[in-house]
Amino acid sequence: MKKILISGLIASCILFVVSYGGLFLAIRFFPRLFIEYNGPLFNSDGSRDTLFYMHPFIISFALSWFWDRFKGLFKGVSILRGLEFGFVYSIIALLPVMWISFSALDITLPIVISWFLYGLVQAIIAGVVFAKVNP
Amino acid sequence: MRYKNILWIYLLFVPLTSFVLPAQLNRQPGAKRWVINENSSLCVNGTTNINKFACEILAYGKTDTLTVSKSNKEIGLSGSMGLDVKNFDCHNSIMTHDLRKTLKEPQYPMLHIRFLSLSKMPELSSRPELITGMVEIEIAGVSKRFEVNYQITRDDQKLIHLLGARDINFSDFNLIPPRKLGGMIRTNDKLSVDFRLNMKTID
Repeated sequence: MKKILISGLIASCILFVVSYGGLFLAIRFFPRLFIEYNGPLFNSDGSRDTLFYMHPFIISFALSWFWDRFKGLFKGVSILRGLEFGFVYSIIALLPVMWISFSALDITLPIVISWFLYGLVQAIIAGVVFAKVNP
Repeated sequence: MRYKNILWIYLLFVPLTSFVLPAQLNRQPGAKRWVINENSSLCVNGTTNINKFACEILAYGKTDTLTVSKSNKEIGLSGSMGLDVKNFDCHNSIMTHDLRKTLKEPQYPMLHIRFLSLSKMPELSSRPELITGMVEIEIAGVSKRFEVNYQITRDDQKLIHLLGARDINFSDFNLIPPRKLGGMIRTNDKLSVDFRLNMKTID
């Protein structure tokens, strides 16, 4: 339990910096890609900002628990284990969610693909951290 | 009988003059009245950290009256415009929706501009004349006074064109500009308001 919490916390901090730093830079250098976010689908009154910034913590602790349960299935060096873990998570969890999102919401394919890649990168980074901290 | 007639005349005279006299007294000597044409317009320009937007009310749709009067050294400009917030068109349904939401349209469906004064009596010629004036703008139930820069002309058809421009802030009216993705995409506080009033003088 302690290892789940510690590795989850480390992954949370790293994902927080990487995710929001990356998002900040992407908006700054590729603003056209984000014009679609000026839509009613996305909250605009700031009332859910705290929830938005809690996302790295939610995903890290969830993945940390998942890693602890199934880490024996991922073999090899840390980076390879992290990569495999990221792909497994993306196929099991992300792909079906992105599929239903694209089919039900009025969003474009580039947005859905960017969300998928964003989640994949997060899961790979978290996987590498878990492989190092909780092998 | 004679006294009774005089009494009747007096009784009729008092209520009738009480309606007529105040209206006559309000009309100051030298006061001019301008009727705002229906094709007057208002444009609000703003920016976000990823794009720009322009929201317009292209046709005012009403014929309100402004009165210009001179008293001592002050030039008074009285009259107001009431604009329907739902008439704003940002040429993008999403931006239009966001602007209406930000201006709290369900609660405060009208935006008011009340004209208060002019810096000098306009000459009204075809040559553009730059003057300033005070207005009170009411958005989402909050009123604030601003000095507005005007450009005023009168064309060959005796139509008066009053162009007004002023920068305002969402925060002046206690409004929070729209923000997305935890504030990473945000609308800047400053808005540039331009309005064009086409008016004709009436006697």
